Amino acid sequence: MNKDKIFKLAKGFRGRAKNCIRIARERVEKALQYSYRDRRTKKRDMRGLWIQRINAGTRMHGVNYGNFMHGLMKENIQLNRKVLSELSMHEPYTFKALVDVSHSAFPGNKAVPPKKEGLQILL
Amino acid sequence: MASATLSLCSFAAHCKSSETESAVVEAELQAPEPEAEPDASEPVTLEVAETAATEQVPKREEIFAVVMIGGRQYIVIPGRYIYTQRLKGAKVNDKVVLNKVLLVGTKTTTYIGKPVVTNAAIHAVVEEQGLNDKVVVFKYKKKKNYRRNIGHRQPNSRIRITAITGYQDYPAVTLES
Repeated sequence: MNKDKIFKLAKGFRGRAKNCIRIARERVEKALQYSYRDRRTKKRDMRGLWIQRINAGTRMHGVNYGNFMHGLMKENIQLNRKVLSELSMHEPYTFKALVDVSHSAFPGNKAVPPKKEGLQILL
Repeated sequence: MASATLSLCSFAAHCKSSETESAVVEAELQAPEPEAEPDASEPVTLEVAETAATEQVPKREEIFAVVMIGGRQYIVIPGRYIYTQRLKGAKVNDKVVLNKVLLVGTKTTTYIGKPVVTNAAIHAVVEEQGLNDKVVVFKYKKKKNYRRNIGHRQPNSRIRITAITGYQDYPAVTLES
């Protein structure tokens, strides 16, 4: 790569890495190596992030991530984790429906009426 | 006419400082404007409210779907566009029907496909056959005198979603209450 391209890519770097061609070339090459690697790690990182989001969403309905996904597998629902995390953030009712479907995929879980606690027993 | 007189009153009330006669004259001079304004304003507000109420329902049918395109899943909403992997063989302005609908959500109901909502289809128009932003593929191995510098632009298609149809017969999960 020629000098102009190097300096163009080195914009915003710190110290001499943005002004001196020798150092800038080193840093730009390293940066491009990182970006090559991180285009691959991005896929894993995002998957981890989606899982965290789904987990947060399902736990609001009293189910953890693993059981939720297992229920979806059993029901043969093939939504991927990206879509599920987006649903959990922006479509709470749809997500609730999914959690219910996944929850009732197990024979023991079907339609349990909520336990009456405290003073509600008297009612 | 009642409204006109009302408008006069309101106008007169507005310019309290001037004498009554002049106020009347001014009001007469400017009669057409205020006459139109309050005349319009009162029903206009009503109309606006009505239109808003009516518009809110059909303006954007509150519906979305999850559809599989090129091995990826997208949440689609009618009227919006998405970038997908290049749809081979499609030309610009071609109409596309996408059948792999995994989920349809409306305001009150959700249709959860197991794994697909049968008969549901998404109609879309190909708007553009373009390329993604350039990616610099720089490979380097130290001490081996190996470096590759390649540019890459992944072909993509921009499709605009026009309608979501055919999902009604599928068993739905309805929102209670």
